[in-house]
Amino acid sequence: MKIFRRIRGPRLGTKLILLGLTLLIVPWFSYRQLVEMERLLVQGQSHAQLLMAEGISTLFNGREDLFNDLPVTIEDYETLFAHPLRNNVRLDGRLEDWGEDLEEKLLSFGAGQDVGDASFQLLLGERAGQLYLYLRVRDPDLVYRNPDYLRLDSADQVRLSFIRPDGNDGRVSLVFTEAGAVTAYTMDGDWRFATTGAPETAIQGFMEPMEAGWAMEFRLPLELLGSRRYFGVSVADVDDPLTREVAALVQTLPTAGKESFDLVVLRSPEVLNIIEGLGYSGARILVIDAEQRVRAETGAHTTAVVGEPSDSLMAFIEDGFEAIRPLLHRFSMFERWDPQADIPGDPEGIAGEIIAASLHGDPQVIRQTVDESLEIITAAHPIVSRDQVIGTVVVEQNIDDIMSFQRSALEQVILVSVASLFAVLLAMVGFAGRLAWRIRNLRREASAAIDARGRLRTSTLQSEMSSGDEIGDLSRSVSEMLSKLHQHSTFLENMPRTLRHEINNPLNTLSTSLQNLAEQHPEVRESKYLDSARRGVMRIGAIVQNLADAASLEESLETEELELVDIRQLLESYVANCRFSHPRCEFVYRGAGAPAYARVSDHRIEQMLDKIVDNAIDFHRADSPVTVQLDTNRGYLQITVANRGPILPEKSRESLFDSMVTHRGPHSHMHFGLGLYVVRVIAEHHGGHVRALNLADGSGVAIMVQLPVARDAPGHVKITTAGENTSDAKAAQARR
Amino acid sequence: MAKSIAIVEDDPDQRANYADAITKKGYEVVAYGSREEALVGMNNRLPDLVILDIILGDEVDAGFQLCRALLGKSPSLPVIFLTERIDEIDKISGLRLGAWDYLPKPISLDYLAERISSLLRINEVRSEHSEQESPTAKHVGDLTIDQEALLVSWKGHRIDLSGTEFRMLAKLVRQPGHAVSYESLMNATMQSLVTNNTINTHMRNIRKKFEKVDSAFAGIKSEYGFGYRWWRP
Repeated sequence: MKIFRRIRGPRLGTKLILLGLTLLIVPWFSYRQLVEMERLLVQGQSHAQLLMAEGISTLFNGREDLFNDLPVTIEDYETLFAHPLRNNVRLDGRLEDWGEDLEEKLLSFGAGQDVGDASFQLLLGERAGQLYLYLRVRDPDLVYRNPDYLRLDSADQVRLSFIRPDGNDGRVSLVFTEAGAVTAYTMDGDWRFATTGAPETAIQGFMEPMEAGWAMEFRLPLELLGSRRYFGVSVADVDDPLTREVAALVQTLPTAGKESFDLVVLRSPEVLNIIEGLGYSGARILVIDAEQRVRAETGAHTTAVVGEPSDSLMAFIEDGFEAIRPLLHRFSMFERWDPQADIPGDPEGIAGEIIAASLHGDPQVIRQTVDESLEIITAAHPIVSRDQVIGTVVVEQNIDDIMSFQRSALEQVILVSVASLFAVLLAMVGFAGRLAWRIRNLRREASAAIDARGRLRTSTLQSEMSSGDEIGDLSRSVSEMLSKLHQHSTFLENMPRTLRHEINNPLNTLSTSLQNLAEQHPEVRESKYLDSARRGVMRIGAIVQNLADAASLEESLETEELELVDIRQLLESYVANCRFSHPRCEFVYRGAGAPAYARVSDHRIEQMLDKIVDNAIDFHRADSPVTVQLDTNRGYLQITVANRGPILPEKSRESLFDSMVTHRGPHSHMHFGLGLYVVRVIAEHHGGHVRALNLADGSGVAIMVQLPVARDAPGHVKITTAGENTSDAKAAQARR
Repeated sequence: MAKSIAIVEDDPDQRANYADAITKKGYEVVAYGSREEALVGMNNRLPDLVILDIILGDEVDAGFQLCRALLGKSPSLPVIFLTERIDEIDKISGLRLGAWDYLPKPISLDYLAERISSLLRINEVRSEHSEQESPTAKHVGDLTIDQEALLVSWKGHRIDLSGTEFRMLAKLVRQPGHAVSYESLMNATMQSLVTNNTINTHMRNIRKKFEKVDSAFAGIKSEYGFGYRWWRP
């Protein structure tokens, strides 16, 4: 408990700074606000995306015709996926004009069967009702058709098998006699002869030999395939130009036991037209049918351009922000900052789940992180027709806008917070400093108003008197307090003098009356009562006089002129005279070797010595001497008056020199504790000080007065000589 | 014809006591209780000697005003202040006004009577031997002191001392070179309540008055712890 009581609160400045730290709530609150806002925005965007998906899906509601061009199940078929082509394609055996990235989408067939011979890669494209095919065949031994041979299976060729719109099988061979244009013939069931002599002109193609094989590019109208688009491609490879036997046949057709056709899956152009017609950019829109086949796709996620910071300061701030953000997040949200946490292992899987779920009839929306820099919202809304879900519209849009908005807002919040925090702290430090300075000034002045002895030095304060605030009030009230105290202490100081005035008059009446009484009645003149009355009058007079003298001592000391006095001589003379004035007491003087000059008023020093010696004589043991000693030191001289006798209680040593303090006990007469007070006042007036010590052996008390040695050279000094004092004093004594 | 003494004292008891005691010594006494009363009374007839209290009723310096007025009328009129205001500053202002003596209360009536007679006698002597040296004058080195006329001069320069100061100096030079104790000096003041400090103050004032005419004056020596001594160079 003691310890707690001893601990004081922090300083004003610390308190204000601690208060200023509450401003930290601003970034904290802002961060929470921003996170909440981000959530709201994402929610809003999710909602908007879902609405959009719903809106798009309503376009398709009841339009199962758009989706019905594919068989309900595709499990029994291999699908050949026809990519929508954006450009016009020249039939030149080259893939360059097909559009970007299609090279990677080549489908390979036959690899691993006959060590690559006749194995081919296939790419399908679709544009303006035409199905484009591109084949790249591996065939080191290219055999062209010999036009003399009627059988068409006697050379390298590409065979197409499909089902015509009328339901009949369609067989077409694409043959070539040289590099360049290819000719298509409708074939018989054995692929040997053309059923008609005329080539199928609807199918055009172009063949180009290439290293270790050849490439062919051709197109056929889609209506040739009917609505179901069952379709197969095979490459017949003839290696021996003499025998012209088909050495290898590699086909896209599925393995035995399955249907003998592939399925050409096309993006539904109508669907695509519809969604493209919406003219919505910035989002990726997918239309997926009930079999989870993508029927139309448009748009792409716009990736926010992450601009490089314009200058190093911004970069610095951004780095700092990046560094501070986890901290801020943890501080604000009470959870770890981990932006990677919600990246799923497999974004595709999640998308699949959403699509599957929405195909069950539930609109779905989810926010997912694709990678570090891309976060998207995926919304899926089912397309319904006759209470059946026939597909779903998926709208994907990234939330870069929101994230970058949040990011810049956060940066701003932090910058503003830090700046304002700094500014406020600075202002508070300044304010606290100023406040503390003012209070310190006031305190200094207030405590300087009273000296070490508790006396008032001034009756008013100067600082802060004109301030309008509470410190000014404090200063004014302290000042008022001081002036009241001053009045009171002035009253107290004047008290002895007033008392003397007031007492002296009746005392004079008393004294003169007694004298007149004795005059008038000579018979009482010898009366002891008259004597005692006179003594009483004298004593009262003396008391009042002493009190008044002590009270005005400091004032009258001010009028004293100080002169250079040899204290050694003064002391020698003084002690010599003491031996006569106090014959019943023995004095021992131990002087210094050299003169000790001090700038003093000699009578006051004498008065001071009187008081000290009186005190020593009063307390000295009968048979012991009073020792007076003078020591000189570098800067001061020390007068010690010691006597053997009762020692001083330790606690009273300090207060001994205060006014009205006496340790003589209740039976002392004519002592008011003024003697040692006078000693102190005189010593201090001369720039010295006084101490009372118990002798080391505990046998008595020493009063030590230290006075500063005069700095002036004593050579040309007017010295108050005592001359042959001892003999003179003796003579004087003898006369008395 | 008996000398007339005027007493101005606002306290009736003290006034009566003074009047009784002084009348008994054979003087004619007129006592006043206030400044106006005293002014009116003394305008009619100027007394031979005036004893003034300083504080009269509510007027704290009525005595000084009276003193000024009376000395304006008759510069050689002996004035004694008899007051409880014994601060040094009051004493100095009183003497500076031209008062002959300044006595603090409580006063011994015997001393008072003695003072009165001595001052009256001095006034007579002075008026008889104005400007010429009195035959009672005594020479101590450079000092000339005339006990009868209460006159002191140093190296031919007249020095104005109050009655108390004169008595102390006279005591000091009675045996030049010998130390005079505080006690004997106290007796010389003819005051009832005197401290060493009072003696010191008087001595300082005397010294200053001498130093005014002779800055090298060193006739008065302190005998620390005992008293003073007249130094014969």
